[in-house]
Amino acid sequence: MKKTLREMRPVYVVGIGLHRYQRMSETPYVTLGLTAVREALKDANIEWRSVESAYTGTAMLGMAASRPMLRYLGATGIPMAQVENASASGSTAVRQACLDVASGVADVSIAIGVDKPAPMALASAKTNIHDLVGRRVVPFTHFALLANEYMNRYGATAEQVAAVAVKNNRNSANNPYAQRQKPVTLEEVLAGPPISGSLTRLQCCPIGEGAAAAIIASDDAIETLRIDRSRAARVTASISRSERVYRGEQNFDAELTRETVAQAYEQAQISPQDLDVVALHDAFTIEELLYVEAMGLCGEGEGARMIAKGDADIGGNCAISASGGLLAMGHPIGPTGAGQVVEITRQLRGEAGVRQQPNARIGLAHMVGVGAVCVVHVLQKAA
Amino acid sequence: MTAPSNLFSVSPNPTLNGGHCRACRYVFFPPQSYGCESCGAPPEQLESKSLKGEGALSSFATINLHQDRGIETPFTVGVIVLDDGPAIRAVLTHETDEGLKIGDRMRAFVVAVGSEGGAPVNELRFAKLETLR
Repeated sequence: MKKTLREMRPVYVVGIGLHRYQRMSETPYVTLGLTAVREALKDANIEWRSVESAYTGTAMLGMAASRPMLRYLGATGIPMAQVENASASGSTAVRQACLDVASGVADVSIAIGVDKPAPMALASAKTNIHDLVGRRVVPFTHFALLANEYMNRYGATAEQVAAVAVKNNRNSANNPYAQRQKPVTLEEVLAGPPISGSLTRLQCCPIGEGAAAAIIASDDAIETLRIDRSRAARVTASISRSERVYRGEQNFDAELTRETVAQAYEQAQISPQDLDVVALHDAFTIEELLYVEAMGLCGEGEGARMIAKGDADIGGNCAISASGGLLAMGHPIGPTGAGQVVEITRQLRGEAGVRQQPNARIGLAHMVGVGAVCVVHVLQKAA
Repeated sequence: MTAPSNLFSVSPNPTLNGGHCRACRYVFFPPQSYGCESCGAPPEQLESKSLKGEGALSSFATINLHQDRGIETPFTVGVIVLDDGPAIRAVLTHETDEGLKIGDRMRAFVVAVGSEGGAPVNELRFAKLETLR
């Protein structure tokens, strides 16, 4: 009989680590990845030899990235594999690690995300199917088109959409792992020529390099390895979906998120009002508005007002993109989804410092990837 | 860089070469013969369908900066919900978004964009109906 993650044995995030997201540098990916993994091991207070499987989320590095990096922690012979799922690669690595532990094939698994910028090679370019626009439409134009449609439908202004970047940069200014660590004003966000439609440079996420790691463990491992249970976050839902055929006038991105998140709520047995902190795929400002609505955190067309009222601020009803999100912490592709799980765990532990959402007990991490795919995890304070 | 010309037909009026599933009646563009995305019917169930080059503008954006240096800016892209069903994306004959609004009636228009090996290269673009008059 089919089982959901929730119906298998409980799994917990017990160790988290990051390498700062940054502009491309000479630093080898091995250094980026090992920094995040060693930080996660230290955080969980366990040794590498206790880790029984490893999944590396990466989209840009090329074939077989795991072992040339992980061998330097001591080659223990564990199963390791790369997970490529576009922007959701890191999230999918987390899901694989959770499934390993939940199913019982491992007591401790690690999900890693690591990437360095490289020319993008999409398989969809090799399908021999062409359209009328070709390479002229890239993601920022896809989202500029959605922004225009959204503003027209709900009477929202370009300033209201841009305000998302002000909030997220304010959050990342206090995040030592963020690529952008400077608050910006609305005037600064709106300044400069729009790249596409109403989207300006600061309304598009920076794509750099970095790494993230999350160690997933069972109750047995927590006991045996004497891991501090009070700092563990239970993963109560893991949902991964892909786009279906929607009606012509529907917003495909919002629909995919709506149905993926709905399944996550059902699996975790929560409602949107229960969420204290959300990390969502805000690669472009407009996405945050589309997704808070698709997640039911506010009504349709009320996203801009939710941001303006401060409901999505740290200290508001539900802190959205408390790390700075993709827009300000950055989007190094492979690490991003794993990095969201790191941030949510930190928030649930109450260890986020000045970025701390008060009394955070339930959090959600959401990534989408071109194709399109959507991966959602719900984490809850364990103790 | 230009889109292959098998995506559209020129006369008597510009039309889009779309597809249609005999099993579930799903209408799609661009054309493909791999299988039906909507119901999974095999290629034998797919047939080509000519889609009228008219529809309504549901969104647009002017691109001022492009990472690909071979692509000249500015240009404007629109989403057009064709009267025959599918929503498609096309370059508009309007260089900027001035005078465009969501809901505008749009019509396909064949534009000569250069030549390749002595043969003219055409693209299918869309323009506001009133602009064509």
